[in-house]
Amino acid sequence: MSAAVLQGVPATTFDTDIWIDLPSRQYIKVINICHKQGAQLRSNTVVDLTDGSTVNFLYEVHGLHSFAYEFERACTVRWLGHDVRVLPLKRILRSKLVVRRPKDLAHIPLLRDTIRLQHRLKRKAASAPGP
Amino acid sequence: MQRKIAHILKRIKNVRGLSEDEKYLFAKSLAATPDERWQMHQNFLHSHDLFTRSARKKYGFR
Repeated sequence: MSAAVLQGVPATTFDTDIWIDLPSRQYIKVINICHKQGAQLRSNTVVDLTDGSTVNFLYEVHGLHSFAYEFERACTVRWLGHDVRVLPLKRILRSKLVVRRPKDLAHIPLLRDTIRLQHRLKRKAASAPGP
Repeated sequence: MQRKIAHILKRIKNVRGLSEDEKYLFAKSLAATPDERWQMHQNFLHSHDLFTRSARKKYGFR
């Protein structure tokens, strides 16, 4: 949900999911980088960074197309001084509708409402009289 | 920021299915920049002592 939070969904999450374009058997490459940065390893895919935040590495995302397909259509968000690619809200919603764990179901109304409000704000902005 | 929130609130006041306080929460979030949104999220976790894994464990989160 970190990407959703960055795009305006009023939600919170305990960890940041990062989608890695590698086969999952190569998870050790990612873990080694985290280890060098001083992160504490919690599992093959979960680390706690030195600031206490938790990162979860994903090697596939259910309900979506390939990494390359989604990356091409991703949004760019300025976050902590970096331009990062994030899944658009509609794609996050699509994944949650497929996965349907209790926490995904809880986020679905928030995602839908935010998408609805963003559309409304865009429509209103487009119809507003110019300068 | 408050002016921007008020501007968005005005534009979403007729949206159905959301209470006034929900509209305010959405307006506040939509008015913010990504970094501001992230800071609000971090502040929320800190204020509830839920930022770190060890802190969350105290409250039964895994």
